[in-house]
Amino acid sequence: MASPAPADSAHFIAHKGKFRLFGLTLDTCIKVFFGGNAVVSIIVLALITIFLFREGAGFFGQNRQNLKVYREAGLEYVDFIRAQQDDHTALTRYLSDLRLRQFQHFTQHQHLTPAAANAALAGFDEFAGQYGDAVEPLRTLVSDLTEQATAIKERFTVMEDRKTERAQLLAAGKAQAAAEVGITPVDFVAELKPILGTLPAYREASADLAKRLAGIVAAAPAMPTPELQARLDRFRQLTAEYLAGFPAVARNLETWDYRRPVPATQEFSAFLFGREWVTASFWQDWYGVIPLVAGSLMVSLVALVLAVPLGVGAAIYVNQIASPWEQRLIKPCIEFISAVPSVVLGFFGIAVLGQTLRALSQQTWLAWVPGFPYSERLNILTAGCLLALLAVPTIFTLAEDALNNVPRSFKEASFALGATRLQTVMRIIVPASLSGIISAVLLGFGRVIGETMVVLLCAGNRIAIPDFTAGLAVITQPVHTMTGIIAQEMGEVVQGSIHYRALFVVGILLFFLSLAINYAAQHIVRRYRISIG
Amino acid sequence: MESTAPAPAITLRPLSAPAAIPAAPGSAVAPAGETLIDIDHVDFFYGAVQALHDISLHIEHKKVTAFIGPSGCGKSTLLRCFNRMNDLIDGTRVASGTIKIRGIDIHRPDVDVIELRKRVGMVFQKSNPFPKSIYENITYGLKLQGVNNAARLDEVVEKSLRGAALWNEVKDRLHTSGLGLSGGQQQRLCIARAIAVEPEIILMDEPCSALDPVATAKVEELIQSLRERYTIVIVTHNMQQAARCSDSTAFFYMGKLIEYAPTRDIFMNPASPQTEAYVSGRFG
Repeated sequence: MASPAPADSAHFIAHKGKFRLFGLTLDTCIKVFFGGNAVVSIIVLALITIFLFREGAGFFGQNRQNLKVYREAGLEYVDFIRAQQDDHTALTRYLSDLRLRQFQHFTQHQHLTPAAANAALAGFDEFAGQYGDAVEPLRTLVSDLTEQATAIKERFTVMEDRKTERAQLLAAGKAQAAAEVGITPVDFVAELKPILGTLPAYREASADLAKRLAGIVAAAPAMPTPELQARLDRFRQLTAEYLAGFPAVARNLETWDYRRPVPATQEFSAFLFGREWVTASFWQDWYGVIPLVAGSLMVSLVALVLAVPLGVGAAIYVNQIASPWEQRLIKPCIEFISAVPSVVLGFFGIAVLGQTLRALSQQTWLAWVPGFPYSERLNILTAGCLLALLAVPTIFTLAEDALNNVPRSFKEASFALGATRLQTVMRIIVPASLSGIISAVLLGFGRVIGETMVVLLCAGNRIAIPDFTAGLAVITQPVHTMTGIIAQEMGEVVQGSIHYRALFVVGILLFFLSLAINYAAQHIVRRYRISIG
Repeated sequence: MESTAPAPAITLRPLSAPAAIPAAPGSAVAPAGETLIDIDHVDFFYGAVQALHDISLHIEHKKVTAFIGPSGCGKSTLLRCFNRMNDLIDGTRVASGTIKIRGIDIHRPDVDVIELRKRVGMVFQKSNPFPKSIYENITYGLKLQGVNNAARLDEVVEKSLRGAALWNEVKDRLHTSGLGLSGGQQQRLCIARAIAVEPEIILMDEPCSALDPVATAKVEELIQSLRERYTIVIVTHNMQQAARCSDSTAFFYMGKLIEYAPTRDIFMNPASPQTEAYVSGRFG
């Protein structure tokens, strides 16, 4: 073959790179393409974050307005009395519990027929009935006041709606129509007068209640057993404490002033430390995130308690003990769990796990387990078990990586000193990879706390702070979670309403929580790499 | 794996063989002295690959024995047979022959590997202190044996560190991480860790290959002082080191034992031309 002439090769070189697309060389095009992909994902992330904050930001202002109306319309005033009434209701519940225990005693230990037991309890029933009825005057007062306060609030809401309407018309340039929208300002002073005027009536009702309760409790019937008698004594004591709280309520009512400003911090603290999440209520909406945070944390805690031993244990087995064929079998199996769609898991949780656990809890030989038996099929335990399943692959994979990173020489040195396999694992391998394992657990936690479908389907969705006084039995209570509430309520809220924004703030909180968890995990891993050298 | 049917030649063989006779490959014998490790016609496999071919040699009590030879000649493999560290590698086996320590075949099923490794300590090529404090590194082996008496542990730590010529350098920072020491100090820490459990034999797998000359000199000095109490088997690439430290030297090539004789003879008057070529630096 003839070698190309020098002139030809010069020609060839001169032509290379002449291909241009929109004035860019091919290399630049490729670079722009890949760079563009990276930039797009970053921009999308930034947009999501900005959107979250933009939508959530308005919440605190609206919450402040919400709290202000609560005070100015007199709802707060009425709630003082309502709390007094609610406490009484709690005491009557104690009495019904006491009746149930007596009934059980009569039927099971004294072998009375139910009818005979009811007859034996006639005296107690009369006592309980009197106790329950004593609150009637107070209840009437509360319901009157509730109507009045609701009416004020309603008028205020109408006024606000009109204002919004006018602003919208003005913005649309229809000044004529805007002027026609009549706004009746709410005169809180005048409106509140009838409510505040009920103070003497309250005093009378309260004093009457105190007198009657004291009298009724003093004449309480005797209990059939010392154990039940102790409970009755406890009830007497509770009633005495309840009565002792009356003067404080009266004082609150006397000093209450609708003009007292709502402190600026309260709009935040009412959200972050609020113990109630009540929405679409005829009375007053509360956006307190504590029940949701407590629910999310409890479910995650149960999930981690189950998933950490399973995930880390499996990782240790696969990494240190298993034979190669076992490794080839176990690893894909565990990693496969994460391929199961979480809605399927949730479905399984409702249909199978919830039922099974409840049936199990009702077995007599398992009655020693705290919280057993229970009747709520969907609760912290059910959701926690399923979330554990979701966390296991994350924890397993990352913990296995961490164990793999322990230099082989540590293991050899330990064996050479006469350590058994178990000693080597527990004293050398696990401590050396501990930071990696901790970060695996943290990332598993992040996986669990952000999970939505399973908790929405299986956690029971009762918005209440779990009753921690129940001890370990708390895990059999239903809860609602941060993720669950967003998924459940976002579809039905009015866009731009305080409820809508509150859900966004919950989302932001979740976002920061995940961010903190991920950051902590990465930080720990980085330190761990350095310590190994 | 233990050989189930030892060849007659093995059973008839006297425990102490006559001194340095120029040996044919695979049938070298030990110099005179009390035999501690008796290696008898050992064949060793990594899976299907034979790494050791018919190795026989006797290692003497309270002497330093050096294994030399080019990379891949099987000297480390043989060393790791003595405390059965090769068990940790899947697919390895001693296909035939026996290794006896004090007359006991260490591959017998009733031999407790844990006990064996307590009595046969090991120092590795790359220093590998645990990511724990110096103190915990030394006491690790004892704690495995259930020794928890603080006074006893303190005593052993001091004794071992003195034994490893490290005490003066680290006595003020016993509770800092062992990974904070220099390379040479780390290696001496590993030696201290090995002697803390009072083994009879210390196996050293190229203990100085990652150290600078000063640190190497210290470790060699340490080996000299340890020979009074321990039987030492050292694998080395450094022929000067073998010449300086050891009493006997075995030369391996391609998985075969070429020559085993007192060190002086190996270096001054090698019987095999291959040994001569290797020690004079013409190959390897």
